[in-house]
Amino acid sequence: MIAFIRLYALQAGAAIRMSFADRANFALQVAGMAVNNLVFLTLWVLFFAGFRSVGGWGFADMALLLGLTMTIVGTCGALFGGYRDMAVSILRGELDALLTQPKGLISRLLARESLAIAWGDLACGIMILVLFAKVDLADLPLLLVALSAGLTVYLSAAISFACLAFWAAGARSFARDLTDFTLLFSSYPGSIHQGAVKVLAYSVLPAGFVVMAPVEMLREPSLRSIVVVLSAAIAYAALAGGLFHLGLKRYRSGASAA
Amino acid sequence: MTSIHLPSRPAEGARAAGAMLSAFRLGAGQTLAGWQVLAGRCIFYVIILVVLAALWDKVAAERLPGTLAGQLPPGGLALYIGVTEWITLALPAVHLRMEDDIRSGGLEPHLLRPKSYLAQTFSQSLGAAAVRLAALGATALALLAASGREPPPLEAFPYIVVLGGLGVVVGILLYALAGLMALWARRSLPFQLVIQKLMFLLGGLYAPVTLYPPVLEAVAKASPFAAHLYWPSAQAIAPSWDGFLMGLAWQGLWILVLALACAWLWRRGLAKVLREGGV
Repeated sequence: MIAFIRLYALQAGAAIRMSFADRANFALQVAGMAVNNLVFLTLWVLFFAGFRSVGGWGFADMALLLGLTMTIVGTCGALFGGYRDMAVSILRGELDALLTQPKGLISRLLARESLAIAWGDLACGIMILVLFAKVDLADLPLLLVALSAGLTVYLSAAISFACLAFWAAGARSFARDLTDFTLLFSSYPGSIHQGAVKVLAYSVLPAGFVVMAPVEMLREPSLRSIVVVLSAAIAYAALAGGLFHLGLKRYRSGASAA
Repeated sequence: MTSIHLPSRPAEGARAAGAMLSAFRLGAGQTLAGWQVLAGRCIFYVIILVVLAALWDKVAAERLPGTLAGQLPPGGLALYIGVTEWITLALPAVHLRMEDDIRSGGLEPHLLRPKSYLAQTFSQSLGAAAVRLAALGATALALLAASGREPPPLEAFPYIVVLGGLGVVVGILLYALAGLMALWARRSLPFQLVIQKLMFLLGGLYAPVTLYPPVLEAVAKASPFAAHLYWPSAQAIAPSWDGFLMGLAWQGLWILVLALACAWLWRRGLAKVLREGGV
């Protein structure tokens, strides 16, 4: 396991160094994303200045949700950046070369790219958590649990969506769209979702488990909320792994969706 | 003895307009051919409207005293959001097309052709946007009927269609500015992100700028971002002839200014490419 983590760190490190190579471009992308996030935050500042709360959610709750979302998406993009184009990699037959190499196929796909723009998300996410989300040092262990679980669910969902490429050529942009839909649901107060939309947010597009349940866990910690968050992370990781291996079996048999 | 007929200026103009029309048709045809992507966009439109309508319905239902909730229109902001998202999702990624051409060297063959690259790209994007506007508009009407919400008054529809179409033109020009920045920065994404978020904030994507503090409202209303989103969308909740004319005036002004800015950036960028080579 340690050897596997070491290998992943080396691969991800190489991808990160590659994204740093063009410094001016890197700085521009990070700054662009930071401005993007700060304007988005400003929108919510204006919203809560005008309307105070929505469904019991105040600005601090929204800041916690945004901080978690940005930190999770930033970490994913920086350390597991290959997830964005995984469906394209599958459709282009790029797995062929990777299948000849030993150890973790999914990890190699994830570590092959680091998105410069993600560092802007990560920096803004941490800044929002520290300055606006009203979390203190005592919350740090739970915050780390929330971030790890949310990251696992988000990444697992993205991998599951990319696995559609094993069966359908149209998954190229559809997988990315589904990931973006999940992100969209993750950017609004959890209290607004009702009925079928709520079911959708806690199942197919699991924004509920990426950020909403973790926000609830941080605001009202209980054994039940911790179990829910961790169980969801394990379940979505298992689903992603299962789908990938099922798809890979089909891929190895020579059936291609492309 | 043979004589050489030099094309007159009106003939040149007619040919340029004909070429732009062809590019418009090409853009529309390409978008129709990719109907799956178009359908996906319509689904995205429905999902985002469901989420945002849920947000504003919740705010309107709570009507907390001492907040701006009292200023919301009786039916909430679902109709307003429907128009802002209609325009936003109709915008083609003209900046990415330009960035691709600039970075891949695809620009050079265009420079050998007698037609303006900028005008052709703009027309093609406009063709794509027209098809998207139609598809998303049909989706909006279907969703409105299915939701059982009170539709806007009948006179609002022509206002929304005219201002919405021109709002898309403003949006394409704004994104074209981001795309042209690739001539210097290689990537248009950072510029596009900033422009997009200014569309959200100053354009009033999620809420009319009239709900903002007075200074910010004044700044927003005079910006190109309001010409892109706010003026067309305001007609969905408070349609008026005066508001329509005001929106039309702002859009006319900004289309002119942005078109000149694009032409200026293009000339400067092209001079740089010809002097120093590709980026």
